[in-house]
Amino acid sequence: MAIDLNEAKKLAKLSRLEFTEDELKKFANEFEGILSQVKAIDKVDVSKIDLKESSAKILATKLREDIVQASFSQCQVIQNAPSKKDGAFLVPITVDEEGCK
Amino acid sequence: MSDYNVVIGLEVHSELNTNTKCFCSCKNEFGDDPNTHCCPVCTGMPGALPVLNREAVKKAITMGLAVGCSINTHSVFERKNYYYPDLPKAYQISQLEYPLCVGGHIDIEINGKKKSIRLNRIHLEEDAGKLIHDNEGTLVDYNRGGVPLIEIVSEPDMNSAEEAVAYLEKLRSTLLYVGVSQCKMQEGNIRFDVNISVNKDGEPLGTRTELKNLNSFRAVTRAVKYESQRQMDVLDDGGKIIQETRRWDDNLGKTFTMRTKEDSQDYRYFPDPDILAIDVTDEYIESIRKTLPKLAEQIAKDYVSKGLSIQDAELLTLRKEYSSYFDEILKYFDEPKFVCNWITSEVFKRLNNQESEDITIPVSAENMAKLLKMYKNSEINQAVARQVLDEIWQKDSDPTLIVESKGLKQMNDTGAMESVVQKIIDENPKAVEELKAGNQKSMSFFIGQAMRATQGKANPKLVTDIVNKLIK
Amino acid sequence: MSYLDLSLREVRDLLVKGTVTSEELVRECFDKIKETSDLNALTSTYFDMAINKAKEIDLARKNGEQLGVLAGIPIVLKDNINLVNTKTTCCSKFLENFVSPYTATCASKLINAGAIIIAKANMDEFAMGSSTETSAFGICHNPIDKTCVPGGSSGGSACAVASKQCFGALGTDTGGSIREPAGFCGVVGLKPTYGRVSRFGVVAFASSLDQVGPLTRTVEDSAIMLGVIAGSDEHDMTASLEPVKDYTIDLDKGVKGLKIGVPKQFFNEQLKGEVREALIKALDTYKALGAELVEIDLPSVDTALAVYYILSSAEAASNLARFDGVKYGVRADKYEDLVDLYYKSRTQGFGSEVKRRIMLGNYVLSSGYFDAFYRKAKRVQLVIKKEFIEAFKICDVIVSPTTATPAFKIGEKMQDPVSMYLSDIYTVPVNIAGIPAISIPCGKDKNGLPIGMQLLGKHFDETTLFRVANAYEKSTKEGK
Repeated sequence: MAIDLNEAKKLAKLSRLEFTEDELKKFANEFEGILSQVKAIDKVDVSKIDLKESSAKILATKLREDIVQASFSQCQVIQNAPSKKDGAFLVPITVDEEGCK
Repeated sequence: MSDYNVVIGLEVHSELNTNTKCFCSCKNEFGDDPNTHCCPVCTGMPGALPVLNREAVKKAITMGLAVGCSINTHSVFERKNYYYPDLPKAYQISQLEYPLCVGGHIDIEINGKKKSIRLNRIHLEEDAGKLIHDNEGTLVDYNRGGVPLIEIVSEPDMNSAEEAVAYLEKLRSTLLYVGVSQCKMQEGNIRFDVNISVNKDGEPLGTRTELKNLNSFRAVTRAVKYESQRQMDVLDDGGKIIQETRRWDDNLGKTFTMRTKEDSQDYRYFPDPDILAIDVTDEYIESIRKTLPKLAEQIAKDYVSKGLSIQDAELLTLRKEYSSYFDEILKYFDEPKFVCNWITSEVFKRLNNQESEDITIPVSAENMAKLLKMYKNSEINQAVARQVLDEIWQKDSDPTLIVESKGLKQMNDTGAMESVVQKIIDENPKAVEELKAGNQKSMSFFIGQAMRATQGKANPKLVTDIVNKLIK
Repeated sequence: MSYLDLSLREVRDLLVKGTVTSEELVRECFDKIKETSDLNALTSTYFDMAINKAKEIDLARKNGEQLGVLAGIPIVLKDNINLVNTKTTCCSKFLENFVSPYTATCASKLINAGAIIIAKANMDEFAMGSSTETSAFGICHNPIDKTCVPGGSSGGSACAVASKQCFGALGTDTGGSIREPAGFCGVVGLKPTYGRVSRFGVVAFASSLDQVGPLTRTVEDSAIMLGVIAGSDEHDMTASLEPVKDYTIDLDKGVKGLKIGVPKQFFNEQLKGEVREALIKALDTYKALGAELVEIDLPSVDTALAVYYILSSAEAASNLARFDGVKYGVRADKYEDLVDLYYKSRTQGFGSEVKRRIMLGNYVLSSGYFDAFYRKAKRVQLVIKKEFIEAFKICDVIVSPTTATPAFKIGEKMQDPVSMYLSDIYTVPVNIAGIPAISIPCGKDKNGLPIGMQLLGKHFDETTLFRVANAYEKSTKEGK
């Protein structure tokens, strides 16, 4: 089962990671090895499995109560910001709703 | 003239008016300095975990029941993964496969014609933070991040801008009546996206485009009209509609490409492992159904049974604020028709004259009831009632004290009134002649004169009776 | 004899008696830390904070105040556990300078019980690895043989306990990251039942698999530490409401009448050499102690590794997406615009193993592959879990080697990710099934490298695990 360079590029985009062509090729090769291991799940019979039945559940009536607790101070919230201004995080001008490259 | 059908579906996001955010106990509040209602959870700090708000789930279910949805007894939250600075975890916690509510409908009426718009689903999710553009860059404020939202998705059942706006009006009214949202558009409590396509009769549905950045009902109307025309023009020219998201520019009155399907994100939805599946029992659903607040239609029916006309009942239930106010006044002064007439005339007039879109009535229900009581009991006349209303509209206070201190009480003393009227009759023989000749307008003259003589405190009806008696 | 040679419980007894002060213990630990700095087990140390806390506790003890169960005991935290106002780096360049604005629940619980946090421990970057070789702050060395790895990802924690730099440590375990290093370093490492310990404040790797657990010198110490950190948490929906027991209560009950399950899939021809010998010997010890050995069948257990890599990578890809250079962590120096900021910051900040897992995770989640990989893996996970539950109907605990070989050489497996992944074969099924498991030393190879035995228990039955583990530990120690 192969993963070609184009697929690798798409994954890099989804991951927001930059690779050189060589790095991507190396990655694609390693990937093949990993994916062949991972295919082991194909042989298991899952026909009797109902995911809904078995997921851990919580009653809607036992969820967190809607009571305000003290928030963190503005200082604490932005203390690790690489760049900040007027109590907010500062980033370059954003263009679109969802940053695509 | 084109022979196209316009097909519209709407996605509305409404913030819920819970005390705290969806997944943490930070305050759910608009305004305030940036990043002052935040914690590790809503700012996506490493190691933070979401904890679901019970009230948010309850409000979502309440809205669902109010519009006829069925409630999923097994509901799952999923991660919608994408990168944007207003999304601190780089995923939004939302719902996909098992939303809290499915189905439902919103009924609208246009020019007397009724139509039921089907809903696809209502699900619960969290809001993103806010971006403020600056000359140095973009500032990110996470105060709004994590606020609970319900997303209400309609089926593409609307066929005109009018229907779309009627749907939105009705939806907003319902949200207010059910009490789950403030619906203040200027605070971003409610936002809408429009999906629109065109097709000719008999042909399959056209390719749709999604319109974003619509900030008012007026914008929806204009955008729908523009985009449907744009699509028709493209098709008439032999072109194809590209499935894409377009941004509405209110200044230019046009839509522009924002992103195409090729650019579109792969959100890689999967159930959020930090949040257990929600078990909504039938008992719980029923307990919520029992406490469902009455909706506009039911309240209007109640008003009709109190003696109001259908039109008046609908006017009063147009906004929850109006009907609540009306109900509150009735607690102090139980004269439904009288109160209704006053509200629909004097109060609505003053609200319409205001600069702002604010529909808060500045007079407390109790004070308004006192004013109306005095008016109904003839303690003051209409002119004085209006005058006092002006005063307490500026500064809410007890109208009985104003009437007392300014001596505005209507003169109801027949004896005293008779002497005043007699004097006017004696001084105005010509008017008496006209009145005797059957000119009823002259009566206004006598009333006017009586008002002048008594500094506006004359009782018009009493004056009329006395004039008629004395001129015989 | 140094106090550092004692177990946590033994030194606690001396503290209570007044034979030693907490301040003395802290000083001894720091002397040892200095002595063993070449092992590179720790990323930050807190001498001043620790001494001050120690003095406070010594004074309180002198005044007869009520003190917690771990009062005055020096403990180390893995560097993916948030501790307010200290750096929590996850041994990644990305978080090199990240200062925690809050404290993890498990750490708070230790502190409330009087423990003194003296340092943060080295680890594989973002907990992804089995050797602590992917740490951005240098490799950690196995204290028994410095040319070998200490295991991972909690290698620093295991090393610190084994080399007596502290009396106990917290690690995290997603696929074996507490047990494998415990086995390689010759200490006791417990992964509690999933949900037994709150994950709030622990930097997430794979949310449905991660658990925090203790690394200690003895089984008893492990039971003491679990008792402190276990329990529900209003900040973690996945932390179980199951009541916390006194985990020390059955320690000395012995194993007579208990059934120990021996999976045929674990004791096949793949298990060889000295590790096989050590395990067989251990099983004989158990028989001698009165336990019954029962063969059990876990037919799908060999797919656990595949399930693990699919689920853990998917969750990791999503959990690590928040590291984008906007709110904290590394931000690239040069970037053209916002989008470029994301790419450059992440590419600069993450190591190659982390990048590999993120890519794999996005692959299995991407549309077109989601059903075949992620959803299918979730179903296979349930099959594996059911097989364990079935097996536990006829036994009380299950036994296996912790790893197929003792600690390997530094650099030996770094070139081949697949062979690195295979070191998790015995530990990974435990995380997939959500059950608890403990690794205890059961001998050494001819080079003196420790061999680990793993005991697997029923959900929320750590008590039986401790009982069975303690029986072995006591018998072999007494034998010395």
